[in-house]
Amino acid sequence: MSSQDTLLEVKNLHTGFNIDGRVHHAVKDVSFSVKPKEVVCIVGESGCGKSVMSLSVMNLLPKHNGKIDKGEILFEGRDLAPLSEKEMNAIRGKDISMIFQEPMTALNPVLTIGYQLDEVLINHTTISKEEIRRKSVSLLKQVGISRADQIVNEYPHQLSGGMRQRVMIAIAIACQPKLLIADEPTTALDVTVQAQILELIGKIQEEVGMAVLLITHDLGVVAEMADRVVVMYAGQVVEETDVDRLFYEPKHPYTKALLESIPKMDEKRDVLNTIEGIVPSLKNMPEKGCRFVDRCPAAMDVCREMDPILGETDKGHAVRCFLYEESFPQSSDKRAEVQ
Amino acid sequence: MEAAEEVKLEKKAKKQSPWSIARRKLWHNKLAMISLTFLVVITAMAYMAPWITGYDPGRVDIMSRNLQPGEGHLLGTDSSGRDIWTLLMYGARTSLTIGFVATFAVIMIATVIGSTAGYFGGWVDSVLMRFTDFVMNFPFLVFVIVLASIFRDAGIWALIIVLSVLSWTGAARVVRSKVMSEKENEYVMAATSIGGTPFKVIRKHILPNVMTTIIVQATLLLAVMIVAETALSFLGFGVPSGTPSWGNMMTEARDPNVIRTQWWVWIPPGLAITFTILSINFIGEGIKDAFNPRSAR
Repeated sequence: MSSQDTLLEVKNLHTGFNIDGRVHHAVKDVSFSVKPKEVVCIVGESGCGKSVMSLSVMNLLPKHNGKIDKGEILFEGRDLAPLSEKEMNAIRGKDISMIFQEPMTALNPVLTIGYQLDEVLINHTTISKEEIRRKSVSLLKQVGISRADQIVNEYPHQLSGGMRQRVMIAIAIACQPKLLIADEPTTALDVTVQAQILELIGKIQEEVGMAVLLITHDLGVVAEMADRVVVMYAGQVVEETDVDRLFYEPKHPYTKALLESIPKMDEKRDVLNTIEGIVPSLKNMPEKGCRFVDRCPAAMDVCREMDPILGETDKGHAVRCFLYEESFPQSSDKRAEVQ
Repeated sequence: MEAAEEVKLEKKAKKQSPWSIARRKLWHNKLAMISLTFLVVITAMAYMAPWITGYDPGRVDIMSRNLQPGEGHLLGTDSSGRDIWTLLMYGARTSLTIGFVATFAVIMIATVIGSTAGYFGGWVDSVLMRFTDFVMNFPFLVFVIVLASIFRDAGIWALIIVLSVLSWTGAARVVRSKVMSEKENEYVMAATSIGGTPFKVIRKHILPNVMTTIIVQATLLLAVMIVAETALSFLGFGVPSGTPSWGNMMTEARDPNVIRTQWWVWIPPGLAITFTILSINFIGEGIKDAFNPRSAR
């Protein structure tokens, strides 16, 4: 794959947190790629390392204990991981921008909407103040805010959650980034507003022609938005495929369990399906074997003994599970044994 | 850019900034407004003293020593024949100048050190905070007395510098803790995520949110600085004795005779100090209240 048709390529990313002198990996050996103008969804429960992964791409990990240990984050062929804060600042907000989960706190309460919109343009362009303000107002209109010329002079507390998220989107797209990272952009919003925001992101994605990396735990959002899906569990990618195959032929037991947890409209039941157990915490991650083994309905002995690798079963469909022989390491005699 | 041309910039939209809300609340706080008026009047009188009184504060008049309040001398004269009313106003000028300038300097130092330590954390924080502890542990009085005697000739500026250099520690700690809690907010990460440099994030995003704390600290510090000037001058280590200041005026009261018989020498500066400090504290409380979202006033 040449760098021409890949916008972002994450290779063997390991991101660790230093807790009590030991490094625990919240993201372990994650690889995936995003093509230009593609919408890639990252799915998984809370605590699967989705957010840490996205913060690694932006180099926004908590400075005191978070660190990228290994791996490369290639953006247009350039590795972002070793860049200095200054080099990274030139990219943040311009080529890659980010929408956060909580629109209530992601805007500064004491600055006007207009100021916060202007700021990203001040950081990355050299046009005049007047011109910047005009651009800001038209950006607000682009994200569907009426009265945009008044809203620029208002403060975040005067807007509703949905409006604030629209403002966040306006800020994120101000410099026409090539990649937009949206970290659970609709989690904090009402269901009706969620749909509007998703629709807006989809519309803007087409207008601006950017790629979107959408992090979510809502499979409904995935069905709506995604071209391709990366399923993460406990810091690892367990399945990667396009959106149709994810819903029609899921392979990994975790993906299947996630899909079964969605209540169906034509089915009457009292208790919803759940996945028993919880994601192991950073400190209690199993040293060896598949990380899902304790909750897996199809667990085998081999699952506890060795680490499955992410193997491609069909073209564009990779899975990390010993139910598929592609997940056995190349030079393993266990493969024959189990088969 | 055709769409942009249609965009009109509305300048006069109704602003509902946290500042304007606080201003309105402060305006309705009677005690704080009375105090503010008092402080403004005192300050105005202090700096316009030459136009209010005809006497020279430094002129010694043997003929009119220890006069009671009355005609010619509104508040009488002291043992050197200086007009108390005149001294009071020129003294206010000295005391308030020291208070305002020292407070400003202290707040500057505290803001820079506190926000740097709070934002960057890690070793930067450790180094700056240990330095703060170090300065905090200087014996204040001894240090001021030694420095003030060394730099005697520099007049009130020596005192201002000494006060500033020694008093920023408490405020720096407060600013640091406030910045530390403020930087955890998502808007700080959002500001970084659009390419803001640390300096810009601190100045444009964190400091406006910490400003209320800084303002309250500043008002309280202003009172502390004026008291410090008074106390040091009273002890004879503050403002040089030739310069009129409220503390220097109180020095006269060290003579038991003066306390017993000449109330007009020490009661006016005493009341001036008390009311000024009181009003500053009321203003500080008022501002604190105005910025507190839970207070309904």
